[in-house]
Amino acid sequence: MKRKGMYRFLALVLALSMIMVLAACGSEPASESAGDEPSESATVEPSESAEASGDVINVGALFNVTGGQASLDAPALNGFNLYFDQVNAAGGINGKQINVVSYDGKTDQTTCANNTKKMIDVDNVVAIGGLSDTNYALAAGAVAQQAGIPIVFSGATKPSLPDEVGDFAFMTAFGDDTCAYAAAEYVYNDLGLTKAYLLIDQSMEFTTTLADFFQDRFETLGGEIVLTDNYMNKDPDFSAQIDRYLADNKGAEFLFFSGVPDDAGVLIKQFRDKGVTEPIVSGDGFDTPLLWEVAGDQSEGVIVSTHCSFENTDAVVQDFVAAYTETYGNAPENAFAALGYDCAKIIATAIETCGDDVTSENIKVNLEAIESLKCVTGTISYTNGHVPDKTASMLIVENGAFSFIKEIVS
Amino acid sequence: MPIDYIIGQLVNGLRLGSIYAIVAIGYSIVYGILKLINFAHGDIMTLGVYAMLIFMTMLGLPIWMVIILSMMISVCAGLLIERLAYRPLRSAAEETTLVSSLAVSTLLQNVLLMIFSAQKQAFLLPDYMTELHTIGSIHLSTMNIITFASVAVSLVVLILVIHKTRIGTAMRACSENLTAAKLMGININKVIVFAFAVGSALACMAGFMLAGEYKTVDPAMGFVPGLKAFCAAVLGGIGSLGGAVIGGLLIGVSEMLFAGLMPTTVTAYRDAFVFVVLILVLLFKPTGILGSRERA
Amino acid sequence: MRHMEKIRLRDSNIFRLICFVLAPLIIIIMAGQKNGGYYNGIVCTFGIYALLAASLNLVNGFSGMFSMGHAAFMAVGAYTSAFLTLAPQQKINMLPGLPEWLQNVQLPLLPALLICGLCAALLALIVAFPVVRFKGHYLAVATLGLVVIVRSVLDIEGDVTNGARGITGLPSSASIWLIFGVLVVSLFIMYRLLSSAYGRSLIAMRDDQVAAQTLGVNLTAKKISIFCISAFFAGIGGALWGHTQTVISGQFFYFNMSFKIVQMSIIGGMASLSGGLLGALFITIVPELLAPLESGFVLFSYPLPDLYGLSNIIMSVFLVVLIIYRRQGLMGNSEILLDTFFSKNTYTSVFKKDEYKHFAKACINLCQRKKKS
Repeated sequence: MKRKGMYRFLALVLALSMIMVLAACGSEPASESAGDEPSESATVEPSESAEASGDVINVGALFNVTGGQASLDAPALNGFNLYFDQVNAAGGINGKQINVVSYDGKTDQTTCANNTKKMIDVDNVVAIGGLSDTNYALAAGAVAQQAGIPIVFSGATKPSLPDEVGDFAFMTAFGDDTCAYAAAEYVYNDLGLTKAYLLIDQSMEFTTTLADFFQDRFETLGGEIVLTDNYMNKDPDFSAQIDRYLADNKGAEFLFFSGVPDDAGVLIKQFRDKGVTEPIVSGDGFDTPLLWEVAGDQSEGVIVSTHCSFENTDAVVQDFVAAYTETYGNAPENAFAALGYDCAKIIATAIETCGDDVTSENIKVNLEAIESLKCVTGTISYTNGHVPDKTASMLIVENGAFSFIKEIVS
Repeated sequence: MPIDYIIGQLVNGLRLGSIYAIVAIGYSIVYGILKLINFAHGDIMTLGVYAMLIFMTMLGLPIWMVIILSMMISVCAGLLIERLAYRPLRSAAEETTLVSSLAVSTLLQNVLLMIFSAQKQAFLLPDYMTELHTIGSIHLSTMNIITFASVAVSLVVLILVIHKTRIGTAMRACSENLTAAKLMGININKVIVFAFAVGSALACMAGFMLAGEYKTVDPAMGFVPGLKAFCAAVLGGIGSLGGAVIGGLLIGVSEMLFAGLMPTTVTAYRDAFVFVVLILVLLFKPTGILGSRERA
Repeated sequence: MRHMEKIRLRDSNIFRLICFVLAPLIIIIMAGQKNGGYYNGIVCTFGIYALLAASLNLVNGFSGMFSMGHAAFMAVGAYTSAFLTLAPQQKINMLPGLPEWLQNVQLPLLPALLICGLCAALLALIVAFPVVRFKGHYLAVATLGLVVIVRSVLDIEGDVTNGARGITGLPSSASIWLIFGVLVVSLFIMYRLLSSAYGRSLIAMRDDQVAAQTLGVNLTAKKISIFCISAFFAGIGGALWGHTQTVISGQFFYFNMSFKIVQMSIIGGMASLSGGLLGALFITIVPELLAPLESGFVLFSYPLPDLYGLSNIIMSVFLVVLIIYRRQGLMGNSEILLDTFFSKNTYTSVFKKDEYKHFAKACINLCQRKKKS
């Protein structure tokens, strides 16, 4: 009897999975032609590129919509989809509609790598966009590079990323070096502050890299890091670090926090609540409305070096903000939404330049030729390499919102 | 090191520890009877906090009403989970229920993620609660004082309940030997339901304090405090309420002293340090600090 | 008399040969055609997870202990493999704190794997002392603590581990054949171990510690040794994983990874190595099957919204339901997969006419029974 039960159960599982497979075939009309059959040809040569057929072009979107990266990638995916929705509504690119094949990376490296393979192998995408964290970008990038599919990372900021992945990788965002150098130069040159207290999130690649670059440039300019402290992400209690600072801050004139959006508001509130009054500066990790939502008045005067400012009156920026708010019911949550949008725009521009011959190889070449493309997060050119030469925007919190100070070229 | 500084860090530790203590009490109550590590405890807490968020921001209800309503929601959630995921497993091995609680935890987190999105949301208490009172170099907000008070009050109330009421005696009987208690005619389902209800309400209260302290909520916020609170409960002797409080305070204090007194090259190890402390204590006192005789 | 026996299909060696040996082999060959392809990736992932789940079962299912620390041993294996297989130039750039002799070493993958396993086993040996003393839940939480400690070390000791940036550029020499070769050899070792006297005393220890002790089983030695053996294979699994991903970092060897392997172990059945394989298969395949539900699924021509996270929810619900209704896992105690794979009978049955007759009869029986019911 027990055996029968087990067989019934297994049969149920098998039946369910077959239903799912059928559903899988049914829900992706664009990839039906590719189907689910494994290719039995010989080993793929790296230079073999994917082609678009018919009047639909498949573009892959790989974002970590669930898991630890979700707060960055979910808005980015929204931005990405928004752009292609707009393009399709306006008639597509050269008459062809764009089909966005989007998979959730689940903030799991294996899932990211496997989904990249799926997009390339099964869905025949000609280009891929996505991902905000360097480590996942590396995993997915390795796959795309080997298959010869250009991949444009929306939010990853490690400047050496395209070098580490290969010539098919491009970045939408500026490198951490641009961000950190801008902050260092603004503080040193414009504010005249020379002694820094550095607080670093040790558990994230982005924050440690950003802090390193900041220290680099600040010391080159002539400044001094008088005190350094650290914490691990997920430790929302900074009273130990604050007390240590209050006990002896070695003459620090300002505080540089290298952290992620999650900790932004909390850090500022806790420091200010205990009476720390020195100016607070940070990188694009602090570009989040959480600053004033959580820290309220305490967040006045916080300076942030980031990708763009939604206060920028430029039509490109305001159109994006309006479209995003109308489609999703709320203003863009953070700069990553804009980066996702720009990522899509970059891919679309390259596809358009291809004309009728839309192949991965051509897209890659056209990407490299992009110059002075006006995007929400700045003007993008790949003439000097696959990390765009962008400016960083310095923002300051005033009256419960970001105010634009200036752009810095560094 | 100036004594001022050390006392300051000590107070920080007590502050943090009192939050762990409330969660740990919830863990201990359930574990004492069911021998179940409820990984979903932290997520019931998160659920309660999100309920509070909705009541506060969308409905604009007064604070006391918010807390009571959210506690009711947490309690319902806890009872539902107990009925669906834990009751059928009562006769199973310990590890099975542990895995079940892990699955429930993932389930809750993902449901909250789908409903509320992963963005951190601000959780703001009315101003009078965040007012700071300063004594020397010690800063305490009204919220902190309420937290300390709640720990003390909950502990006292629960101890009274356990030792002076019938249901409390039934709970003690169940935690000694569930089967014997059943044979004695105690309705163990009722006892377990009561324990879960109390535990979930405490979790909700702890969530209120945690969210009030750190001013942000996100679907995954309950896991790490839940884990640390479990360490606290084990440290103090699981099943013992006083032990849970002691364990919580001890973990909070040791974490803070470590982070405050060690050189900055080492302070990032504070999470690891908590676990090392736990393992060392368990090595020398396997049933925890206030734990009673060896449970087979 | 033969015709009185209930001839079951699953007893037929030919059937087993086809199902458990030939079919997987064909799938692996097909997937192996396109190196870097999607199916190749899925099958490789399955191979590695299978090794991890089976090695976890050694501890969780066969010795009565419950460990959730597998991610820590994976991390040790992966990082050791990185230290050993990266080119000296890469190591000098990324890991300036490594001792010179280590920076200049560069081994091919296979010998490196062995050393990785040994290092992971060494870690297990070091932490074995508390492991042996703790029971049940306490052990589970202590192993979680190990994961936290290992990750802290990886994130903080940046000179040696490159901190949270992780190590990139691992050679991707873990081909599908290497992975399955390692898997088969490892499974063979584990299988043999369990059917030996050592394995019997393990199971005795699991079932009743006191009774086992009275029979002369040295509990401490057994617990420590099985913990180390399990860690050995976990280290190899971690190293292989690192080589398929080419980038490793502390954040990947954390609770999520540990819980995933525990899930595989539970779903397949803790008390059976074949269960580990089945669980790994499940966890690798089912999320892939459920993925289309998440993005724009069309149900009866009504388009559903994007529901990211749905597959995680479905998996959690399934796990709870499975635990409640079949807590020994899908496989239970059955070791059918490995029994088939490693027994001579399966392979010699190709040459025996009787076996074909048996198979035919079983098929006919099955059809008759289906017709009847």
